[in-house]
Amino acid sequence: MEVRLGQPDSAEGDPRPTYRQGNVLIRAGGTRADPVRLDWDDAPASASVDGSTGRATMTLSPEACEQLDDCLRTFGMTVLIFLVRRIGWHHVHAATAVDPKGRGWLLAGNAHAGKSTTTALLASRGWAVGSDDISFLAADRQDVVVHAFRSQIAIRPGGRDLLAREGGACLESRDKTGFWPEELGGRWQPTVRPDILLFPVIGDARTSIEPLRPIHVLAELVRWSAWVVLEPALAQGHLDLINRLARQGRGFRLTLGRDLFGDPAVLDTIIPT
Amino acid sequence: MTLRYRAHPELRLTALEGEGVVLHLGSRRYFSVNETGLAILEAIKPSATIAELVTMLTGRFEVTTEQAEQSVRAFLDRCLTSKLVEEVAG
Repeated sequence: MEVRLGQPDSAEGDPRPTYRQGNVLIRAGGTRADPVRLDWDDAPASASVDGSTGRATMTLSPEACEQLDDCLRTFGMTVLIFLVRRIGWHHVHAATAVDPKGRGWLLAGNAHAGKSTTTALLASRGWAVGSDDISFLAADRQDVVVHAFRSQIAIRPGGRDLLAREGGACLESRDKTGFWPEELGGRWQPTVRPDILLFPVIGDARTSIEPLRPIHVLAELVRWSAWVVLEPALAQGHLDLINRLARQGRGFRLTLGRDLFGDPAVLDTIIPT
Repeated sequence: MTLRYRAHPELRLTALEGEGVVLHLGSRRYFSVNETGLAILEAIKPSATIAELVTMLTGRFEVTTEQAEQSVRAFLDRCLTSKLVEEVAG
């Protein structure tokens, strides 16, 4: 990925349909080799991901550079997501971990599903964990594996209170506290082969699981892989990978109750063998 | 002229254990389809008439011609509304 400083050129005249992902406007379409154009809303910044060479060029204005942390975390990450799709890594909103029995877990869901707090809780129990949110599905021979983007586990104030943990880095612009897995007593696991596919929701009752039929697992995985729809040339390949993952693992709806924080050991045994 | 039906160019389909998830790239919506719906969507590649779809269903499932036609028409109506399917002149 090449980063240039300067004023981005205009996207006017690009006839392709536009898609919005957060604060990034995306122009994609045509063949796999056609470049993808991305523009950031918050300040002038653009990028072109060249499908034929697997290179991305990002042009950041001085205004964008003044917000560099936010720019890289949102816009830069989106560019990266499009770039690694060229090598068959497909983004999914999911956390990953390996349980004490050696089984890979994938927890997929939105920003308020409890992924980060659960990931932090698992790390504090000594589990190996990957990302709390940014993961990439990839084929590895007959298996589907998930590569984690290494970043701090970012917890909201409520989650931090439940975790009862001091320290961490203040992520002020996001109103969150960041912890590396190692700070919590866990370790980082860069790649996981998921055996257990969990779709967490926060509930008032006790922590519980409900088995999901494979077709529902497939639909949930599509739901949390929003990128599948953004680039028509790669959509079917992305769907096929999700399909393989749904066949590979057992799926459960995971209801996260407050009892989890009094007795986190429940997570060690909640998934039947 | 007999109307034929075909999958919308922006439709993507993935099937698992006889059922499927259908995605419309333009509207960014996805749908689950049962065994019958999956059979119809697979049969309209490249295109099919209602009569051909009814014949396909009665051959694969234990349904009468009337039941099959009712299912086909109801399913195609929903798919046309959601732009998963489009009509083409036969």
